[in-house]
Amino acid sequence: MTFLESFLRRLGGMVITLVTMSLLIFLLVELMPGDAAQRVLGQSATPEAVAALRESMGLNDPIWVRYGRWAAGILRGDLGTSIYMQGVQIGSIFWRKVGNSIILALFALMFYVPISIVLGVLAGVKAGKWIDSIISFFGLATMALPEFVSGILLMTIFAVELKWLPITSVIPIGESVWSNLQILILPALSITLVMFGYVSRMQRSSMISVMNSDYIRSATLKGLPMRTVIFKHALRNALLPTITIIGMNMGWLFGGLIVVETLFGYPGLGSLTMSAVKTLDTPMIEVCTLFITAIFVVSTAITDFLYGFFNPRIRYPGGE
Amino acid sequence: MKQLFYVAKRNPLIFPALLILIFWIFAALFGPQFTRFSYTEMDMDYQMAAPGTAGHFLGTDALGRDIWARIIYGSSSILTIALLTSLFSSLAGVIIGFNAGYFGGAVDRFFLRIMDIVMAIPPLVLSMVVLGVIGNSNIGTLTLIVSIAYTPATARVARGAMLSNKNMEYVDAARLRGESHIYIMFREILPNTIGPIIVEVTARFAYSIMMVASLGFLGVGLQPPTPDWGMMVIENKTIIRAAPWAVLYPSLAIASLVIAISLFSDFMSKVVYNDQ
Repeated sequence: MTFLESFLRRLGGMVITLVTMSLLIFLLVELMPGDAAQRVLGQSATPEAVAALRESMGLNDPIWVRYGRWAAGILRGDLGTSIYMQGVQIGSIFWRKVGNSIILALFALMFYVPISIVLGVLAGVKAGKWIDSIISFFGLATMALPEFVSGILLMTIFAVELKWLPITSVIPIGESVWSNLQILILPALSITLVMFGYVSRMQRSSMISVMNSDYIRSATLKGLPMRTVIFKHALRNALLPTITIIGMNMGWLFGGLIVVETLFGYPGLGSLTMSAVKTLDTPMIEVCTLFITAIFVVSTAITDFLYGFFNPRIRYPGGE
Repeated sequence: MKQLFYVAKRNPLIFPALLILIFWIFAALFGPQFTRFSYTEMDMDYQMAAPGTAGHFLGTDALGRDIWARIIYGSSSILTIALLTSLFSSLAGVIIGFNAGYFGGAVDRFFLRIMDIVMAIPPLVLSMVVLGVIGNSNIGTLTLIVSIAYTPATARVARGAMLSNKNMEYVDAARLRGESHIYIMFREILPNTIGPIIVEVTARFAYSIMMVASLGFLGVGLQPPTPDWGMMVIENKTIIRAAPWAVLYPSLAIASLVIAISLFSDFMSKVVYNDQ
């Protein structure tokens, strides 16, 4: 199998998964009890008005016709109309919220990637020593905590007690997130605490296995200083699994944003999804869920692909 | 057994973890007998009372409800749902993963494809949307949906365990004796793969606690007035300045439980995989 062939095969698999996902999400949400037209008009609407709106919203068409119309709209870039915010084009708010979420995710990435790698390497090099026990326990503990629990702990310390940072991460009307960067710190730290465990654990175990390999042993026996052995020889190979974990978790990160953004009231994709579920805003739920899923699928596929690219030993199935 | 004590000696953290775990199990079973207040009782004279006032050990929330009582009552629902979820998803995972791995070929591809699709939605998003759409969650719907969201992951572990065992000689021997597929899968191979499966069940238990707490926090978990730890956090978040205890103690309850279970599951995996 050539390189191009394996690339196309992965791309095809990804497209099939995404199409199936979109169908599944659409069916799941559309088949829920209750009538969208009734929700638009409220409980006091006359049956005639509801029937007329059902007709004009196309709710009387068979489900596959509605799916086709919806999917075609998404492909054209038309995300549909919100039910809860009556008549508002989803596209007009959706992308702004996605942008906010991406800013938060990148901000969190800037915190947890360096911290986790440095402490993971330290724990791996000092495996079995007390510093390793402390880092490993801390990683296990923070990894186990749901994002809102670590968020509440941070909030109590830094916002309620010390009053250094704001409790909520609301962006004032008319301003952008860039002029309010301090609101990003607590949400980003909550994400950091959760991701730290995964990434540092992976870095620790890959560091341990690399440090025990023959080429490191010969580098050490050659008399190279420990610093050179670790940073020039070991780290280069020990980073690969960590990068994979970070990539794999990108999609997961967007799922975790739902909790963090809800806790801090940050106006991103996560809190948008949450309020859509709360208000049973079907078109909004569909778009948000599809988008989160798409990020998840695409980031997993890219990571898989890059991993094979950087590590040719596993590129082709069966080939050692 | 020797291995168990050896690993325990090298990981002394397992002892406080077990103590915390026993405390919560005890609280879930007998806790209501040790609270002065019921979880719905509103003490109108003591709203947002600080811990220790008027017999409210951990203080009260905005409605004057006792935090200690609500945490103790809440422990039974979260433990029940998480226990059922980890058992159901592991059971379903073992049945699906074993069949997929044992028969291979088209059966395997069919299950793998379905698993890939379910796994493509993050479990929290899947559970939140489905529970939100169904509405009025109870122990039954929560257990069902979270189990479904977690089954693909457990099925993968079970399938892997099956693949590494199915070509072993003892399986060939059983086949030559003329045993049925069911017998071979569950009487021959299952006992030999029980280690990784136990590790998976305990890890799943920790994940389930996190998930149930998060769903409660997002408001799609158990409905009020049933006390739910996650829900208590979001309910009282608006009064975090005036009554931080109303938010902090439920959070600490969740934290102590998930960390204890994670340490336990980490310990089990060290025992089973003989890894220090």
